[in-house]
Amino acid sequence: MINGPVLRREWTTREGWRGTRPGMWAWLVQRGAAVALLGVIALHLYNPFVRGVQAALLALVLLHALLGVRALLLDFGLSVRWHRALLGGALALGVAIFAAVWSWRWY
Amino acid sequence: MELALVLSVFRWAPGSPERVQSYEVAPREGFTVLDALVEIQRRVDPTLAFRYACRVGMCGSCAMVVDGRERWACRTLLGTPRAAVTVRPLYHFPLIRDLVVDMTPFAARLRAAGAAFVPREGPLEFARVPGDGAERQAIDAAVECIGCGMCVSACTMVAHDARFPGPAALNRAFALQADSRDAGRAARAALIASEDALLRCHTQANCTEVCPMEISPTQSILALRRRAVGDLFRGPSRAP
Repeated sequence: MINGPVLRREWTTREGWRGTRPGMWAWLVQRGAAVALLGVIALHLYNPFVRGVQAALLALVLLHALLGVRALLLDFGLSVRWHRALLGGALALGVAIFAAVWSWRWY
Repeated sequence: MELALVLSVFRWAPGSPERVQSYEVAPREGFTVLDALVEIQRRVDPTLAFRYACRVGMCGSCAMVVDGRERWACRTLLGTPRAAVTVRPLYHFPLIRDLVVDMTPFAARLRAAGAAFVPREGPLEFARVPGDGAERQAIDAAVECIGCGMCVSACTMVAHDARFPGPAALNRAFALQADSRDAGRAARAALIASEDALLRCHTQANCTEVCPMEISPTQSILALRRRAVGDLFRGPSRAP
């Protein structure tokens, strides 16, 4: 038997990213948001009055939480055929909530 | 004059390095990737190796990665030439030559998940499973798997965990767990409820996206996972 090499998708090449699907993007964005949140929370604790950091914190929390809700809905039995629509819905809802909170006059 | 279409084809043979070789073919109406590969092999390069059988999208033998996505070569039309079309073998399988991969690990993954029917002991009796019954309907899509290996190629978790049985094996396990004739359900439930099986799936649904039979292994895995959680509270039960 020929024991040839096993090819893997190479994430450092353009070819490796071709054909990346919505479910994969949802997973990557949620994990990316989690990692980014660690840094943004640290910056926010250092100085809570920086507007840019506040905006980043809100955006990342919304992104991470809403994509988490998407994963929960699938875990609890919503058909996987909805997973693309759920990604779109989570992003749209995130933008809407961000816009509503950010444009609200708090003071 | 019709523009030539460029196919960038992955090449490898024992004793030679991996490389990409470009071929020019003249596309015709209804020209598929498989048609192009056959034409290249017959007229340009007889050393090019690839696998196919039915040519009509039934057997799954011609599964390969075309433009970064797992597809059946015989069902992938080559449209208007734009950039070169990349053709690579399936990921996560050992290469035999060029676009031909060794499917042995596919069977090994099925065995690892206990994804084989276990007959009951004692006298054989006819099983009464009506086609429109709940037991049959629950697995209606899952039993259509033809073992082409595209889901295993698309799954990122297969690359990260050698012990992960992968989407096809867990989809088969799902069908068997719903089969009242099967005597191996308790053992299989314990086998797949491990960190390296059901818990390893991250619900990326890459397998679902590429399955040419429109099966959702993700759906099967999530159903098995819900059943495993249920078993923790109420003890093992009969069907997913």
